[in-house]
Amino acid sequence: MRHYELMVILDPDLEERTVAPSLDRYLGLVRQDGGTVDSVDVWGRRRMAYEINKRAEGIYAVVELTAEPATVKELDRQLTLNESVMRTKVIRPDAR
Amino acid sequence: MAKPVLRKPKKKQNPLKAAKVTYIDYKDTTLLRKFISDRGKIRARRVTGVTVQEQRQIAAAIKNAREMALLPYTSATR
Repeated sequence: MRHYELMVILDPDLEERTVAPSLDRYLGLVRQDGGTVDSVDVWGRRRMAYEINKRAEGIYAVVELTAEPATVKELDRQLTLNESVMRTKVIRPDAR
Repeated sequence: MAKPVLRKPKKKQNPLKAAKVTYIDYKDTTLLRKFISDRGKIRARRVTGVTVQEQRQIAAAIKNAREMALLPYTSATR
């Protein structure tokens, strides 16, 4: 089990209230595989430094979780398949 | 024979120590902004005054932040 930090940028057209529940649907995968979700932090709408998909803003969310590497890989894959997810990044904060 | 002029370079204050940062987080844009120029380029170590190891971590953090649009790749204001 490893500690991960996942950041996602979501489509700004999404309702901000629906972000946490819909994100939680994906995080169900982590719990199902024996991992834990330590914190979900929705930053909300934020201006991006440059345009992504012709959009100047994005809804940022940061999730801290502990899971197996394969689980996180699958989670990341499923997120990128979602149309409203503009970008994702997985970081291992304690890797160095 | 001209004597070589000995100049003691002024020792820079380590800005990370001043800010009491131990882990360089790519989400901490206010900190990282101190290490990029106004055009968005990463400042050299001789300018920033941090250690080699820290400079590497800063550079990696800035690049991660750029990928997530937290920092600009360029800010062409000219």
